[in-house]
Amino acid sequence: MKLNEIRYKIDRIDRELLVLLQERMGLALRSKKFKAAISDPHREEDLLARAERLNLDLVERSFTRQLLETIIQESKRLQEEDRKLVAFQGEHGAYGEVASRELVPNGAYIPCLEFVDVFRGVEEGDLDLGVVPVENSLEGAVTQVNDLLTTTDLKVVGEIKVPVKHCLLATRGTDYREIRVVYSHPQALAQCRGFLMRNKLEPHPFYDTAGAAKMLARESPKASAAIASRLCAELYDLDVIKEGIEDGSSNSTRFLLLSREAYPGPGDKTSIIFAVPHEAGKLYDVLRLFAEADINLTRIASMPLRSDPGNYSFFLDFEGSQQDDHVAAVLAKMEALAIRLKLLGSYPADSSSA
Amino acid sequence: MKNLKLASRDTIEQTVIHVGDVAIGRDFVVMAGPCSVESEKQTLETAHAVKAAGADILRGGAFKPRTSPYSFQGLGLQGLKILDKARKETGLPIVTEVLDPRDVSWVAEFADILQIGTRNMQNFSLLKEVGTTRRPVLLKRGMFSTLEEWLNCAEYILSEGNPNVILCERGIRTFENYTRNTLDLSAVPAIKELTHLPIVIDPTHSTGRLSLIPPMSLASVAAGADGLLIEVHHDPSTALCDADQALTPDRFQLLMRQLRPLYAFMDTMNT
Repeated sequence: MKLNEIRYKIDRIDRELLVLLQERMGLALRSKKFKAAISDPHREEDLLARAERLNLDLVERSFTRQLLETIIQESKRLQEEDRKLVAFQGEHGAYGEVASRELVPNGAYIPCLEFVDVFRGVEEGDLDLGVVPVENSLEGAVTQVNDLLTTTDLKVVGEIKVPVKHCLLATRGTDYREIRVVYSHPQALAQCRGFLMRNKLEPHPFYDTAGAAKMLARESPKASAAIASRLCAELYDLDVIKEGIEDGSSNSTRFLLLSREAYPGPGDKTSIIFAVPHEAGKLYDVLRLFAEADINLTRIASMPLRSDPGNYSFFLDFEGSQQDDHVAAVLAKMEALAIRLKLLGSYPADSSSA
Repeated sequence: MKNLKLASRDTIEQTVIHVGDVAIGRDFVVMAGPCSVESEKQTLETAHAVKAAGADILRGGAFKPRTSPYSFQGLGLQGLKILDKARKETGLPIVTEVLDPRDVSWVAEFADILQIGTRNMQNFSLLKEVGTTRRPVLLKRGMFSTLEEWLNCAEYILSEGNPNVILCERGIRTFENYTRNTLDLSAVPAIKELTHLPIVIDPTHSTGRLSLIPPMSLASVAAGADGLLIEVHHDPSTALCDADQALTPDRFQLLMRQLRPLYAFMDTMNT
């Protein structure tokens, strides 16, 4: 092995150490919800003793102890900080984390495998807030999330539109001319189809955009790149070969911020879900109430009811707060018309034009 | 010139290529900027200066064809990213050279116009490759080439399906050695007789002498050229290539103040 090859491997290991440390800190923060006190001397001693039993000739016992003590110290300091635990779906660097960082600055961003884990985590109090995508400007509704919204007791307390700017990422030093294969979520690959075709790159589907970036950083497969957010480049020490490689120019995803408690202020935007009897003119009757009250609807979407095939839930977002008199009046009239009315909450609208 | 099925004047009256806010072939277009992208600071400063002086398009090389293999070869991808940033900051479209067929699709992702340099005019595999992109191509005249050879090279690009070719006269080799090359200004009206493609003049490489650049720029306007390609460097004394032939931003600004009224005057003469 030559010096540059050795250093390349060392860099990769350092990167991995830091990524793992980040994951460990996230787990430590989650553990706080289950403990009476942050400090647990028995557990710490257990941990140190177990590490000391390892017989690693190059990693001496005294060093192991010192290293772990430093990590435990830092993890206790983080737990003292009382950061909000914000759950998102995907790996670190997913667009959900990009949205979370915007919605809740200074939070601890906790990756979850599935959308349902975000909902359950917040519902059960293991996590403080959740951030989920509801619709994408190109692909439409995120049906899994909308389905979960119909059954959850969580409240919507905020929203944000995140511009989806896909980046072509590669490990540092990769010659772009050697790239042949690009890993990413099928949706991201589809959104960059033109770019991939122009540069004769072969799309390889992966379970997650950020997951593809993470795999790239950990395994450094030859002649490969990933499509993911710019945040991923920062988290996994990757080179941004090109930013904004998506075909359409205005691609954005709208995320909702979920909490167990309703938004404390009045807010200026409201989300509801309702279902009406399967009779002529029933949906019109509901929509007419909004028209007559001069309330601007910002989103209307329908989804089949899982519990009752053939019938539909309607998702409605509109300007105004539940606490406004004219909105309250419309909602009261809706109660009389609808089979089911679910108020997701009023919250501050994202005023950015993204 | 019977082989010019697509480049010949018989097929179209005048090709007009829209890049950013300008229409090359209709408006008088000035492309200006450094010979090569040396750093972010140098490129952004020069970009803002040429924008302020009234240039329409930013030029700058990320891949440099140098006479010596030991001369600065350009920043490559890093240079393209810097040009991309300059475009975002100034709004100026980018023209930059591509040297290698393997780079064409990648350079096309960053540049608004692909430049084929004089040394590559007859690099047919490169011409075919740029012919498959959707980017306009600025095709420089080979320094030893006849008009017919030049137009046949344009034909290569057109025949691959890319209709947007801009010709650029940059001087030819003659026995004269006071100037770096000899600017063939007669190429402008000759090209106008032969083809519908727009033609711009590079007064920098054709003369190689600072003092000759402004007068030959004005002469290009009078001859009916569709635009100019001029090297400008925010601090020529520090330039990594062609330091002694880049205009300072001040000198460029003065030239721009002379060019526009002359163009307007020539326009009234012709209508």
